[in-house]
This record gives sequence, structure tokens and C-alpha cells, in this order.
Amino acid sequence: MGNRRGHGRGDEDPVRDYADSEMEIPRLFALLLIVLEWTRPGLPSPLRPICDLRVLDHFIKEARDAEATMRVCKEDCSIGVPLMVPLTRVDIGVWEKKNMAEQAQEVQTGLWLLNRAFISLHTSISNSALHSHIDASVRNIASIGQVLRSLSIQDYVPTVSGIDLQETWQVSSAPELFQVHINFLRGKVRLLLANAPVCKQEVS
Amino acid sequence: HVIHHSNRLPLRITELCLEVKSAFAQLLREEPENIKCFAERMRDLTCFWEEGESRNSSLHQYTFTYTYQYRNENSSACEVFEMPMLAARGRRLFYSRLPRIEFFAQLHLCVFRGGRELYNRSLFIDQVFLLDPPANVTVVKTGQRGQLNVTWLPPALKYMDDSMMYEVRYAMEGNPMRKETVKATTKLTLRGLQPSSKYKVFVRVKPDGITYNGYWSAWSDPAFGTTPPSDLDPVIVVLILVIILIFFLLILFVLVSLLKKLWPDIPSPEHKFPGLFSVYKGDFQEWLGHSNSSTRPIHAFTEELPSPLEVLSETSLDSDTTEQGEEPLQSRDMDAGLLDRWKEPPHTHWLMEQLRALQKHPQALSQSSLLESQDTYVTLNQNSQHAKEGRQEDDILEESLPLQALFASGDTSLSAASHSDLGSLQQSSGSGRLSSQSSFEYPNHTWPPKGPGYTYMAVADSGVSMDYSPMSSSMGKGVVYANEYILGHRRPLSGQQVHS
Repeated sequence: MGNRRGHGRGDEDPVRDYADSEMEIPRLFALLLIVLEWTRPGLPSPLRPICDLRVLDHFIKEARDAEATMRVCKEDCSIGVPLMVPLTRVDIGVWEKKNMAEQAQEVQTGLWLLNRAFISLHTSISNSALHSHIDASVRNIASIGQVLRSLSIQDYVPTVSGIDLQETWQVSSAPELFQVHINFLRGKVRLLLANAPVCKQEVS
Repeated sequence: HVIHHSNRLPLRITELCLEVKSAFAQLLREEPENIKCFAERMRDLTCFWEEGESRNSSLHQYTFTYTYQYRNENSSACEVFEMPMLAARGRRLFYSRLPRIEFFAQLHLCVFRGGRELYNRSLFIDQVFLLDPPANVTVVKTGQRGQLNVTWLPPALKYMDDSMMYEVRYAMEGNPMRKETVKATTKLTLRGLQPSSKYKVFVRVKPDGITYNGYWSAWSDPAFGTTPPSDLDPVIVVLILVIILIFFLLILFVLVSLLKKLWPDIPSPEHKFPGLFSVYKGDFQEWLGHSNSSTRPIHAFTEELPSPLEVLSETSLDSDTTEQGEEPLQSRDMDAGLLDRWKEPPHTHWLMEQLRALQKHPQALSQSSLLESQDTYVTLNQNSQHAKEGRQEDDILEESLPLQALFASGDTSLSAASHSDLGSLQQSSGSGRLSSQSSFEYPNHTWPPKGPGYTYMAVADSGVSMDYSPMSSSMGKGVVYANEYILGHRRPLSGQQVHS
């Protein structure tokens, strides 16, 4: 605003000095950019791919700690309605035959199922100590989802009918659910992340 | 390479003996469970158990079943084999191998003998890995002393290569072993080793326990490496040299100072008397005669330096000789007396020469002891006016003999002297009576007690005028005249009269 004072326009309205025509267009443009940035539609900016498996190891350790504390819980921890959870078993030969998309789909379906199971466990169990573990597990699953997104793996939300029941089973107690969680992370999720093509491109 | 077989085909004995024997032995030691299982690669699981009863139980009595937890179906059975010659003390060892394994799912195992359950166990196959030891362990020198680089190959397992933990064991001949553990890397630098020594290195591997777990593998074959010989760091060499140099300089310094203490310089007056010792061979008289062209022989002082003169004045009092009025009278009288007196030793010019010489070399005098008893002093006794009448020449002559000698070589008359620096004597308070002692004293010496009746004045043989307050006189009432005696500046002296 002071950059116009030196000019010989003393007889003009001083307010008019600010809205000088030379500066008006860049100002409007800047305002427009700010507004657009706020209202930017949908797509999040691409994350840097998280290829270091130590990130996943950190989540695995968290889940393992939760599972260890839950293992001793016997009475309080049974649930009435069995929960549908993904299968955690991995047959290496069978897994290798699947392509990347199938593997990703399997992983994301499993994460979705686990998420749903934890939420319903949260409602059915009244013990507040368990609630903290359940919340931690839910956050854990959400973080894994972020990692997957960073590796350019598209989000996949399964429909109820689209779930292959062959790949699911049912648990009826909280310790079992936590065990499924940790085994799922160690198995399928880790195998998927270790073979992510984005990370392999960086290495080679 | 993968062994494909069905449950019915027996495994080759030789293969089993080579690969599995050590594994069995290790697990027999380490695993507390009854059914001991291990997975060597990601393709199969081997389980075995011991049977201690010495019954002649046949192999076919045993049934080994397994089932995965998630499957709600009946368990499957697996063929049982016996491992010969392994178990000791009458124990028999039976094993079985699962053909297709699934990771990350809980596995239930059961051993039945004759229809009754003997042992059971639940485990995860990804938690019981027993890997092969690392291969190609190599030890090479690094560039630095006391270090060796160890590298090895990881186990060739596809999905596990970043989940490994290694332990390196190394020792010199006959020394205890040292261990180091590394994770996720297949090389290690050993530090702190002794130079020029041969080291033996072993490596073993285990899954790191986060995703996969298992038992420590067997130690690899030993690898040998020799550390490079130690060489001196050039920086250390330079520093040592600098320290030695400083040390030598220090010793030199100490020696020199010691020498100075033991053999101090004896000051020699040679340089003050040019030619005295070299040309005239110490003959002072000749040297004097040569340099001053005087003919009078010096009797008492041929070999002595002229001693410094001390001008002393004595006050003797009648009465209130109050100052100014009588002083000129007295001084006039004294002048006359002095003049008369000073005719006796007319060679004051020579004395002045000596005094000038002394003045030029004040350090010569400073080194000599000025107040020895054999110093000569000039004392000016202030007598009354009567003194001028009586020519106390005898006294004077006796006492001032040395002084006479000093003045002996002078040629000029006293009048000349009166205009010179010695003119102060003219104005001095004393009557001019010369005592036998005369010396010039320097201000930084203490006064010797001379005896009652004398007041001392120090006359400095420097270019600066010194004004001294007279010492207390035991005379009581006396007029003490303080003189300013200046050598070399030819300033007229002012006399002060002090009433004591």
C-alpha cells in the first residue's frame, strides 16, 4: 500500500490508492486461488508411498500388544452374536497365483470386515478397559488403509453380497477377534505391501 | 529345492539324516513341548516326539493328526516315521511331515497311540522357523586398523528376507567369544580388534519375531580374517616429536640457568678503563698518567678507584644565628676560609675529572660497596668564624690526607674549582673543615651511624638534584645547612638553613 505514495497523486482520494487498477487483477487472482484450494473437490493429494515395512511392523506390534492383553480375558469377553471375520491363513502357492488386484481386494475386504467386527464388539462389551483396546484396533485398521492408499491401491468397499464366504469365518469371543486381527496383519497385509509394484519401481 | 511327496511315500533316509539330524538334536535341547515342530522353508513342517517307554511299541500304533482352527472339519492324519539311531538311552523318536502348510492360522496337532491321545499342541507355523545357517561368510580387512568387515548371504526365503536377525560370534585364538547382533542387514564391521591377529567368525540367523519367529539356526562354517598391523597415525608421530622438542628446550633452559648460578659472571671493570689491562698491564699509575697527563704520583690510590665522596656537614652552634643576616657574612667568611683552605689541595681539577668519569659510569659505583669502613668521607665542619683564623691545617692535613691525594693531581687553582661543581662547598654551611673521611653516598644506602655531632647529607652522583633532610643531630641546637649538591649540571646551589 505504500508503494503508491510516491506518485504524484496527492489530490486523489487516498482510499483509491489501494485499489489501483494495476494491482486489482493479481489480488483477485490470489483470492480465487485461495477459495479454490479450500473447496478443492474430492481427490486427496497423492501421498508419498510408504514402502518401508517398518511402518507396518509398528502396527503389528501395537496389535500384538492388544492381543496379548486380551488373551487372558475369559469371562467378560464372549459375545452373543458371532462376528464375521476374514480368513487369515495364507497358502503361499495359492497366494502367488493371484494377481495384484485380487490380492488387494482380498486385503481390503478383510480390513472392512474387521472394522465392522470391532465396532459391533464395542457396542456389545461393557468393560471400559476393553474399549480402549478396541478403539486402538480400529485406529490401527484406519492407518493400514492410509498405507494402502499411499501405495496407489484403490479403495474397495465390498458389498455384502459380493463377499466370498469361503474367505470368511466366524468368531464368538473377543480374544479370538484380536487374534484374527494380528494374524491378518502379519499375513495377507504384509505380503501385499511387500510386493507392492510402486515400491518395487522405486527400488529397481 | 522342494521335495514333493505324498503322505505315503517315505522320505529318503540319507536326506533325513543329513538335514534333519542336527535340527532334531537342537530342538530336543531347546523345545520344552512334547511335540516339537519346525519349519525349515516355507513349504513344509516337520514334527517329532520322543517316546520313552521301552515297550516294543510298533510304529503303526501312532497316529498323528492335524487340523487348522478355522476349518470346522475333522482333522487329517499324517504318516508317522521313526528316526533311527538318534534318541539315546532307549528312547525312540518318531516324526511326521505336513505336506501343505498354511501360515498365519492356528494349527492343532495330536499324537495318538493305540487310540489314546498322547500329546497335543497348538501352534502357528510362522512362529517355528528353523532356518539354514547363513552361507558364504567372508571376512575382509577395512582400511582402518583394528577393524574387519564380515558379510554373508541371507537365507533364500522369498518373503522373509527383511525379517531376519543375525548373530555374529568372533574371537581370537584362545580368547573368549564376543557376540554382536544385527538386524535386517547382512554385513557387520567388527571394531576394537587387536592388530595383526587372526580372528575366527561365525554367523547364525533367526526371524526377528515381529512377523515371523523361530529358533536360532546352527552356526555357520567358520570364516577367518587377519587384522592389519598397526601403524602409527602420522598425527600422533608429529605430536610426539613436538613434545620431545619442548622437553629438550625445557632441559636446556634449566641447564643454562643452573650454569648461571654455579658460574656467575664476575664483573670486570676492564671496559671502564680502556687499555688499562691490555696495554699497561694493570699499572694504574701509568695508565692514569697516560690518559690525564698529570705528573703527580698518586700514593694511596694507584690501584683503587676513586671512592665516592660523602659530603657531611656538622653544625656547631653558639646561639641564635638566625639566618639570613649572618649567613652571608658567614659564607663570606667561609668563602675566605675555604679559599684559603682550598689552596692546599690545588688539584681539584683532577678530582672533577674523576667525578665526571664517575658520573658517566654510575653503574661502576653502584656495584662497589660504598659504605665500607675504608671509604673516605669529606666532612665539612662548621666552625665559628674563629675557625678561619686558626689554620687548622694540621687537622686538616691529617684528616684530609686521602682527599689531598685525590686532589693531588689537579693543576688548577682553587678558584677554578670554586666555579665548578665543587663551588657548592663555597656556599656550604660548613667552615670547610675537612675531615678525614669523604665519600659520596648514594641515596639508596642506609646511613651508618657516625657518631654524635655529625649530620649527614647524601649527595647523589646523578644528574638529578637531590634534596635531603638532614638526620637528627644529637647536637641539640645547631644550625644545619642542607645543601643541594648537584654534579654535572653546574647549577648554583642554594643553601637552606635549618634550625634543629
